Amino acid sequence: MEAKLAIRGLSKWFGELEALRSLDLEVERGGFVSVVGPSGCGKTTFLRIVAGLEPATAGEVLLDGRLVRGPSGDRGFVFQTDNLLPWRTVLANAMIGPEVAGRSGEGERRRTLDLLKLVGLEGFERYFPRQLSGGMRQRVNLARALAIDPQILLMDEPFSALDAQTREIMQTELMRIWEEGRKTVLFVTHQIDEAVFLSDRVLVFARRPGRLQETVRIDLPRPRGLAIKRTPEFVGYVDRIWRLIEDDVRASVIEEKV
Amino acid sequence: MMQRRVETRSANAAPKAGRRIPLAGVLSVIGGLVLWELVSRYLVANALFLAGPLQIARAIVQLAATGELWRHIGISAAEFALGYVIASILGVICGMAMAESAIAKRIMQPWISGLYATPTIALAPLFILWLGIGIWSKVLVVITLVLFPVTINTEAGLRTTSERLIEMLRSFGATPPQIFFKVSLPSALPFILAGLKLGIGRGLIGVVVAELFGSRAGLGRLISASADAFNMPDLFAGVVVLAAAGIAMTAGFGVIERRLVPWTRD
Repeated sequence: MEAKLAIRGLSKWFGELEALRSLDLEVERGGFVSVVGPSGCGKTTFLRIVAGLEPATAGEVLLDGRLVRGPSGDRGFVFQTDNLLPWRTVLANAMIGPEVAGRSGEGERRRTLDLLKLVGLEGFERYFPRQLSGGMRQRVNLARALAIDPQILLMDEPFSALDAQTREIMQTELMRIWEEGRKTVLFVTHQIDEAVFLSDRVLVFARRPGRLQETVRIDLPRPRGLAIKRTPEFVGYVDRIWRLIEDDVRASVIEEKV
Repeated sequence: MMQRRVETRSANAAPKAGRRIPLAGVLSVIGGLVLWELVSRYLVANALFLAGPLQIARAIVQLAATGELWRHIGISAAEFALGYVIASILGVICGMAMAESAIAKRIMQPWISGLYATPTIALAPLFILWLGIGIWSKVLVVITLVLFPVTINTEAGLRTTSERLIEMLRSFGATPPQIFFKVSLPSALPFILAGLKLGIGRGLIGVVVAELFGSRAGLGRLISASADAFNMPDLFAGVVVLAAAGIAMTAGFGVIERRLVPWTRD
């Protein structure tokens, strides 16, 4: 296995709170790896550290063997909320990454237009965010991250704000897009079935402190259609992961109520 | 696939309701003018206390014909324009400094808050004493009135920039200047424009009141001289011209706002 992303002894403290304890893991080139866990397990913090948006307390993040020190165009971040700039059109929003990197020529524009087509937004290039539905805005969010042609895509619960039907459609859309480019993806979610459906491997996190509890390899044939969610194999994976985090989830639910 | 949803709400529905001139409003204005005319003719019937709309219209035409009106408008417009432009530029710069630097904010905040609430127009006689009865004392009055709303709004606009949008840009490795120009400034623009709009009314008040305290020409001077001579038609002519200028500038500003910050329309 050739590691695209390697995490070595990564720890994070927020003051007195231990958010992440000594993570060691690798993501293979072209792999789709998900992180699931109960709320408070540090999965989003982990992703933000990989993105360089948050400093680690100890340990290191290596991308292609190079130490990550801060945010940069080699990682594309897809946010939970779309974070589109309301004064920019769909195309101008998707172009922001190349623009920040000082590349906004005709070549970049054409490449971004192709990406918008890939995510299913052909014909909407001149629309403003307020004219789009939630699902379409998340497509722009994805296209914006892809527009910088990143080495790895970091996705932070990108479909959690969508309704159930739109979410399923977006999952299959993401699979279609991923099959075309085979980018390395690190995907954070709290939906176990979403993680199983999309991933080669699912990293199951535990809480207090956040740590890697187990890695579950998903051996389901690709390409996967939504029908696969009804197969016994799929349900078996979901059950197994659910049992791993069940106690933690119950504990976190009780804590949130208090 | 995704349904092709196009919102027509802001494109069609709103203007239909908003742009159509309401009949009741027009009738109300016409009725008011008629009532005013009748009261001035038959009830007050004393040209020393009240001029009717027709008299005022006649006075405006006469003042315009002699060229006197244009001289007053020219002086007042110059005072307003100079003060307004200087205050706008200074205000935006001060607001930016306060939003970007904690020290600048701590130094300037007490002055800005204090002077914004102070009727600085009361300083007009002092400014006239310092700068004479020419236009620069009036320019200074306009500056002190326009500067603070612009500064406060610029600072508030920059400060309320969404953290999530800033973080989005940061994730692409954007530098602080890039974040400022691509996110903070555009998102503060509606606030800055609102401050500038507020400044129009305050600036006009500044020009007129400062001219009342001492001047050689200007619409405020026209008004005070007419009052001294009990020339009500000329006095009202000055007021009407000022009102028209205020309405026209505010409306023009609305057009600029719709063009510059179309995303705030809803």
